[in-house]
Amino acid sequence: MLSKFATRSPWLFRINTGSCNGCDVELATTAMIPRYDVERLGCKYIGSPKHADIVLVTGSITARSEPYLKRLLEEIPDPKVVVAIGICPISGGVFRDSYSIRGPLDKFVDVDVNVAGCPVRPQSIIDGVAEAIGIWKEKIKNWEEE
Amino acid sequence: MLSASDILTYLVFPGGLFAVLFGLLLLGFERIAVARFQGRVGPPLLQNVFDAFKLRGKEVLIPKDATNKIFFCIAPVLGFVGMMAAISILPISGVYGGTGANSDLIVLIYLLALPAVSNVMGGSASGSTYSAISVSREVVLMFAYEITFIIVLFTVALNAGAGEGAVFSLKGIVDYQVVNGSFIADPKMIPAFLGFVIFLLATLEVPPFHIAENSADVMSGYLMEYSGMPLALFEMTHALKLLVLITVLQIFFMPGVAGDSIIFNLFWYLVKSVGIVAVISLIHASLASFRVDQALKFLMTVPIALSLVSLFLVIFA
Repeated sequence: MLSKFATRSPWLFRINTGSCNGCDVELATTAMIPRYDVERLGCKYIGSPKHADIVLVTGSITARSEPYLKRLLEEIPDPKVVVAIGICPISGGVFRDSYSIRGPLDKFVDVDVNVAGCPVRPQSIIDGVAEAIGIWKEKIKNWEEE
Repeated sequence: MLSASDILTYLVFPGGLFAVLFGLLLLGFERIAVARFQGRVGPPLLQNVFDAFKLRGKEVLIPKDATNKIFFCIAPVLGFVGMMAAISILPISGVYGGTGANSDLIVLIYLLALPAVSNVMGGSASGSTYSAISVSREVVLMFAYEITFIIVLFTVALNAGAGEGAVFSLKGIVDYQVVNGSFIADPKMIPAFLGFVIFLLATLEVPPFHIAENSADVMSGYLMEYSGMPLALFEMTHALKLLVLITVLQIFFMPGVAGDSIIFNLFWYLVKSVGIVAVISLIHASLASFRVDQALKFLMTVPIALSLVSLFLVIFA
């Protein structure tokens, strides 16, 4: 029942963990403009972690944002898909040797899709979201069987 | 006494199944129309149906620091039931006569306030700061727009009475307009119509009144802590509220029939509803939102003045 309809309505939730804002601009505005329009896939940006299906994490997880990231990831109901947006959550990017970086993201949670780029291109964001929807479908099937 | 046809009315048509599905389709249509006005492609038409079905299957979370867990759980049901009751008493001209009770217009005042009350109840019980801000805004707006609605309602009731008292029966108002021409063509009622449209925008919280759940500053507002089935109920309440308000607009101002055939009249009702939603989405796509104090000032002056003008014209002209 869930898997049939759920893949048509994935709701996106953004977490910024100390990003330079480049990827956030690409996510929040460029992916929504007429040329790309992520809403075609039924996606919608929502404000509350409790409504989220697909989590988009930007930024290289600074020491200050680490506890908030952990708490937000706990608040998101299962099954969820985690997408790392930009090179920062994947490897730390140019900041990886800094004393204030606690990343990369896969220390805290199992990352399902990596979307690389600095900043990421809107095409690859939409590609990553489409891939995340496929992974989400599999996760729902496993979750329903349990 | 409760008969089989009453139950059918409440559960299948025009309440229940038909209303929920048609309301969700109208919401999907609104999203597509807004996207097209902005030059985007937009979601599929069934998007809000998919959303509702998905939310039914998801995990339900009840926050540990909710201030009142009982209120938190019954709030979504309250709004949904109120709207279900409202849609089943509304007549659709030429298709369905409503309850035919003598004073269902008064009942409508109370039923239409229920979704806002359920939002306030659920939001304030959830113990979230965002919800608290959103609830205070919702209460401010509610007190401002309810006055307009009540003045418009009495204007319509008096005009339908044609100088011999007021008609407080929805069926009476529809029948009067079917015989004597719709109120939207009556110059006396034009200010009241404009006032009612502003009330409709404020109740539905579309821009310029997208304040209480504006995702730019209060995130999801009073829905912050809801997930799964209760959130789906809120979504469906919103869809039903859209349908109820559009139907009320048609009863008050444009209940014209297209002929004697029920099928044709039903089709005419659906076309009118879609047309009204198209106008709403044009307003949605082209305007920015007020701040809450600006909205209060606007709602306390313009729509109330407009509806009072109509009231005086109806009484003295």
